Parts: sequence; C-alpha cells; structure tokens
Amino acid sequence: MKIAVLLSAGRHPVSGAAVLPRMEAQAIRLAAGLGEAIGLHAGPDAAAVREALGLGLARIEHVAIPEGGDPVPALIARLAALAPDLVLAGRRGQGGAESGIVPYALADALDLLLIPDVIAVTSGDGAGTLTLDQSLGRGALRRVSLRGPVLATVHPDAPPPLAYAYGRARRGSIDGLGSAPTLTAGPDMAVEERPYRRRPKLVKGAPTGGSAAERLKAATGESGSAAKGRLLVEPDPEEAAREILAYLRQIGVLAASSGASSDASTPTP
Amino acid sequence: MTSFVPLTTVFPGLVWLMAALALLQGLRRAALWRVGAAAPVAWLDGLAKLPKRYLVDVHHVVARDAYASRMHAVVAGGLLAASILTALAILPPLAGFRPYWFVVALAFGVTAIGSLLVGARRYPAKQKRLSAGRFQILPFLLVAYAVGGTITALLLALRIDGLFAPLALALAAAGGLGLAFEVRHGPMRHAAAGALHLVAHPRPGRFEGRPDTALQPLDLDAPRLGSEMPADFTWNRLLSYDACVSCGRCETACPAFAAGQPLNPKKLVQDLVAGLSPAEPAYAGAPYPGGRAAQGERGALARLIGPDARIHPDTLWSCTTCRACVEECPMMIEHVDAVVSLRRHQTLERGALPEKAVGPVTELRQSGDPGGRPLSARTDFAAGIELPVMSERGGAEILLWLGEGAYDLRYGRSLRALIRLLREAQVDFAVLGAEERDTGDLARRLGDEATFQDLARENIATLAQYRFARIVTADPHALHALRNEYPALGGRFTVIHHTAFLLELIRAGKLNPGRLPDLSVTYHDPCYLARYNGETEAPRAVLDAIGVTRSEMTRSGKRAMCCGGGGGAPVSDIPGERRIPDLRMAQAAETGAGIVAVACPSCTAMLEGVTGRQAEIRDIAELLLQAVEAGR
Repeated sequence: MKIAVLLSAGRHPVSGAAVLPRMEAQAIRLAAGLGEAIGLHAGPDAAAVREALGLGLARIEHVAIPEGGDPVPALIARLAALAPDLVLAGRRGQGGAESGIVPYALADALDLLLIPDVIAVTSGDGAGTLTLDQSLGRGALRRVSLRGPVLATVHPDAPPPLAYAYGRARRGSIDGLGSAPTLTAGPDMAVEERPYRRRPKLVKGAPTGGSAAERLKAATGESGSAAKGRLLVEPDPEEAAREILAYLRQIGVLAASSGASSDASTPTP
Repeated sequence: MTSFVPLTTVFPGLVWLMAALALLQGLRRAALWRVGAAAPVAWLDGLAKLPKRYLVDVHHVVARDAYASRMHAVVAGGLLAASILTALAILPPLAGFRPYWFVVALAFGVTAIGSLLVGARRYPAKQKRLSAGRFQILPFLLVAYAVGGTITALLLALRIDGLFAPLALALAAAGGLGLAFEVRHGPMRHAAAGALHLVAHPRPGRFEGRPDTALQPLDLDAPRLGSEMPADFTWNRLLSYDACVSCGRCETACPAFAAGQPLNPKKLVQDLVAGLSPAEPAYAGAPYPGGRAAQGERGALARLIGPDARIHPDTLWSCTTCRACVEECPMMIEHVDAVVSLRRHQTLERGALPEKAVGPVTELRQSGDPGGRPLSARTDFAAGIELPVMSERGGAEILLWLGEGAYDLRYGRSLRALIRLLREAQVDFAVLGAEERDTGDLARRLGDEATFQDLARENIATLAQYRFARIVTADPHALHALRNEYPALGGRFTVIHHTAFLLELIRAGKLNPGRLPDLSVTYHDPCYLARYNGETEAPRAVLDAIGVTRSEMTRSGKRAMCCGGGGGAPVSDIPGERRIPDLRMAQAAETGAGIVAVACPSCTAMLEGVTGRQAEIRDIAELLLQAVEAGR
C-alpha cells in the first residue's frame, strides 16, 4: 500500500519553536503501522519537516515553493503523480504555516474521499480496502470500511506520536523535487491574530445572583438532589439495594424498568 | 631418597603449570575483549598505580564487609604468597633449603584457613546475595590446593618420604589446576580481569580522589550511536564486566531491586558477560525480580536489549542511575555507564523509549521543559517576592539556577525559603527567568544525548552573556549537569549547591540562625549530591548549626538509598512490587525522626508522595529559614 503523509511547518503551541505539528506526528505513527509511507511537504524550506524523519518516516519529498506561496497546487500535482492509496494529514493548524483547509482543497481537486478525524487505520479484509475508525467526540467512534484511495485527517485522540530517534532522522532522506511548476499566491489570509483568552464557563441554569456561598451551593447541588436525599440508618440490605437502584434509575444510569435494557446511548466501539 | 629430588622440581613445576594454564585460559577469554571498540588507556600510568588502586580504593570498598575483607586478605594473600614462593623453588638453592619449605608450608596453611572462611560463606547455606554455580566449587578447589600444598611443603621441610607425598601432591594439583582452569569462565576470572581492569579503568579519575561521575559525551556523528551489542562497548568495558565476582553487593544496594522492579545490577553485568560468549556457564544468582529468564542469541554481534533478546527493556528502564551499585562494587565496575550506553542506542537509534517517557522527552526537545510549560512561568512560584532577573541586571555575584522544581507547587515553597534567606544575607543574586532552559539531565539519563547536547549548548550560550561569579542551585541534578557535564561541551562554571552556600553564609556571619532543639531531623542524601559529587557534610553542618536533634538512617551519606526520582525512573514508571520512596520513608521512620530533611526537588516530590507517612518532608532551606526567623 502506498501511503503519503502531508507534513507542514508547524510551531510548538507553547514555546513557538519550529516543530512538526503533533497530529502529523500521529499520522506518521498510523502510517508506520500500515506499511511504507513517504512524507510530502510543499514549502520554502525542507528543514522545517526534517523532524518527521526521526518520527518514523524514511523518506520525505519536498516541493519548494516561495515564501507565502500556496502549497495546494504543488501538492495536487505531486499527489496526482504518486497516486497513493491513502493520504494522511493533520486536522487543523496549530499556529505555524499550516491550515486545516488544505486537506479539503486537495480532496476536492483530486476527487478523493475525505474521512475526517481518524484515530486508527487498518487494512480491510478485501484487497485494497481500508478500515478507519473515526472519532465522533467524547469517546464515540464510527468504523468506516471502504475501498480505493482516500484522504484522512487525524484526530488528536489517535495514538500518541512515536519517540523521536536522532539516528533515524540522520539516516532518512529528503528528496527535493524542484520548484512548483507555477507560482500561485495563497488565499487571502487577512486574519487578525490575538492571544487566546480563557473565558469563564457558564453553567446552564446556575443562579447569577446571590452570594458566592449560595452560588456554590447551587453548583454543587447541596440545595438540589443531595439535599433531597434520604438518610437511612442501618437499613435492611434489601431496602438499601432498592434505594440505590431507585436512585440510579432516577439519575438515568439504569434503564427505567429492570430487565428490558436499551443500549441506544452506548457509543459504537 | 629417590623420589625426593623430583618432588622439589615437580611441586614448583605444578605451580608453573598452573600459571601457564591460567594464562592460556585468560588469553582465551581476553580474545573476546578484542571485539570491543578501541579506548584510550594510559597503560604505564595504570600499571604504576595498580598497587595503590588495589590496596586503597578496592580495599576501602571491600572493608565495608569486615568478614569478606578478612577472608579475602587471608585467602588471596596466602594463595599468592604460597604460589609465588613455591614457583621460586624451581631454583635449586631454594629447593634444597629446608627452612624455606617451612615458610611455604606456612603460606599454604594461611591459604587453607582462608579457604575455610570462603567455604563458611557458602556452606551449609549460601549467603543470599552470593551466586551459586561454579562459585560453590571454589572452596573445595581452594581447600584441596591449600591442604595439598601445606602437606607437600611440610614433607619437603621435614625430608619425609613415602607414599604420602604423591597423594598430597595430587591433591594440590587437582585444586591448583582447577583454580587455574576457572580463570576463563569461573570465579578466578575476577582476579585476572579485576587486576587488568584496575590498570585500564575507563574512569581513572575515580582513583584520584575526585568524583569522576560525569557521563562521557557521545559523538553524535558516530556511525552507530550507543551500544546495541557487546561489540559496541569499548574493550576495557567488556573487560570490566568480566571482573565481576558475583558478590551481589550491588543487588543489596539497588533500589529498583529492593522495590521488586525487574532490575538486578549483578544479573545485568552477568548478562553483558554472558552475552559476549555462548560458552559462558549459566547464571546462578538472584534473577531480575518478576523478570523473565534470559533468552535470545548470544555473541559479540547479538542484540542485547529487546522483548525477545537477552535483556528485557523494562530492566534497562528500571534504573534510577543512583550509582549505589557503582559505589558498592568492590571490582569498580561502572554499571550506570553501561545502562546509559544501552539506553542511548534504544533512544537514539530505535526511538524505543518507554511509552510514558516519550511525552516528557519530546517536550524537552521542543520546548526546553519536560512538562511543556512556558519558560516564563518558571518564576511564577515567586509571585509576590522580588526576584531579580539577569536580563535586566546584566550580572550579579550569584546566579540562582532554579531548575525544573520551580514549576512544582510544593518545591516552590523551598525555593521561596531559599530566596528569603539570600535576601536576609544580602546576597547579590539574579535568576535567568524565561531564558533558563532545562539542563537536559532527564534527556541524558534516558539516553537522548542529542536533546541534552542541544539544551546544554543553548544554556551555555545564555550563561555566557552574563557576568556572575558562581551558580547556586537547589537541584543536585542541575548541579551535576552544570558542574560536571557541561565542561565537556564548553561550559565551565563554578557551581555550588544551596546547602553548601547557606553554610558559607552562616559561617561568614551573614545568617544568624536561632536554634531549634525541639526538632528531630534525619537527613536524606540525594544521590546526585552525595554519590555524584561527594558532598555529604554541608547539609549536615547546616542542620547542626541550627541545633536540631539529628539522627542518621542506616543507609546515609555516600551509601544512602535513592528516593526513586532519578534517571527518568518516575517518567518511565516501570511497575514493581513496591515503591522505592515507600522503602526509603520506612527507613527514615526507623530513626523516629519527625522531620526528613531533603536537599533536592526530586527527593522532595518522591518522599512527600508517600502515603501514610508520619514524618514531615522539609528542605534544608526551609528549616534554616525557620531557625533564622526564630533567632530574630
């Protein structure tokens, strides 16, 4: 199976150092578990993605484009020539010269199926088929089996990146493929950047007035369900079990009637 | 008298034959060391210093076990004296001189007593830390040689002739040739390899009275990084592992072994020995706790580390690099160097760090802090107290190196105490603030030499911008890196631990602590201060200066037990049956002290994390501050 991992020049979210974005490092791990993979980078300097060699890629292809140029046409040209069975990319940018739009632009141009938020990829039963596990958030997964070339973006819940091995990075190679055939200006990225400010979370239905103590009481439920509880002193075990069951049903942990169970709310594996 | 003349020749001849056999067996083994990499060895210097290294440095370690020390002096001294004297009797004037044979008989007699002492350690029951196998035959060989030799020499001295002489000679021959045969694979190898190891020791500095403990920098352009197989070690390291006499002192000192983690330094060294040659007899000592039996290929080019190789990776990552094994080893073997060399290959060439350690090492490489925290947040602990920053001052007399502990809420308290003491003593000091990166200690112990060297170079460049006389740090790990390991990369600084600096301030009268006689304190020595830098006195002197009631744990000073916080062990987190800090706190509880004084952020975190502990954990700086405030 031919796999291409799209690499970009990222920035460390805290230190701002030039690093490979974490999700792309995770993509390399997914690819390494499947077979031979190459990295693909379009940008002014291949040094930005050299780190990927230490994370499990043996070879990176680099298409040089001028600073500020749009990498998409160069990537389209190269991917069309490579015709990989699977293209893996990060799911969003994290502050460097990368953008979560690129996979979509590529899928659109190459007429590829795009599966977002993948956390695991395995070869399917049939020849040329793939099984991808897609994260739906909060631990819920959806398994997708499909045939043919596909572009998948990697979710942060995928297995963590492999350890960086200096010796592997030293052995790997970066092949320069020359400059992009035509220079295209990137899309107008007239965006304003400002530091992120964490905002307080609003608790739905929480009282906004009153003293701090009252608000705390309301938030911790002391005036709510806990206050409504019944105190049983040395109860009969049968009775205690009934109370516990009743409480669990009340808060929705158990189905309303015992016996008939419904796992409608259970997430798919 | 017909058989008398031959006996004076045959007996010395036997010793010469033994010497030849020992030489042959030794050479067969030595041929294997040649597969090792080249190493610079100062031969003449080493040879000249061999007697001193043996009689002073080795004896200093051996003497910690008084019985073993006496046993070895008697048996080895007797064996050498008797054998040499007998060998010299090949000269006719000596052979015919009857009193000479009395002297020989006396030497053999001493050896016989020593042999019985050797036997008493193994029979009826072997001491737990000793290895069995071929070592169990050793007392019999020694007794045979010594008793046979005594009788033969006595017969020669008394000019008694008869059937008895051939029998005694046969007994001596069986024992003596057996001993010589054992030079290749058996217990007697330690004598030959040990002597050579003392001459060609990879760290000659440790015999010069200074702690030679810095890891040697790795050439990152070398064709292969670290050690994958026996042939990757230098030849004198291979020789050093052959010096192992399987006494098991390392295993009794090893914190990971005590905690039931799959590490036993003796078995590790024996695995390196056995990995070199498939002919090596089976190991017969304590196993890796909870570990699997040795498996996989053997030979100079066989892979040493791997789930399917001779040494399981968990064994490698259990080590806290505390050097307790090195400190206890009477054969002066450098276990920690072997562990780090093997780790370097795993990390640099294979990226095979333990899963849990990948995150911290990656963050260290990418952001200069193992927690991935902003460097500017390092000084957050000092909110509300004035903390001068180098970049605003350009220089100060003292540069205070904060280290990773500064991010820790608990350790921030110790650092605040230290800063208040520095203010009280009106010390001109400043910190690097956001310019301080991690020293790279964690990366280096986990084998990531590339990240360590990057961080070291950045730190050295930062430090070069400022004027300061000395660096003070409360973190012995940072101290060791800055003081001992940065010089190899071009950064030479005078670095002093905060306990030593505080002692200076007290002695100079700049701090006037009151006395706290109500506190009962026991001091826990950090490995990287005591064993790595030999500093055990200053912290105790500070405690004595504030008049606390001080008691010592059974294991203290350079022989203290590790808290479990070094060498990346907390991030590797290899499971064991017990936790190392729990064991250490139990030892502290035996003293009955209400306070365990510490002088290292790792020790603070590890010991304070022990559940159900009775004693308080207090840094020396915190105790001193309390005393200074009490003295106002």
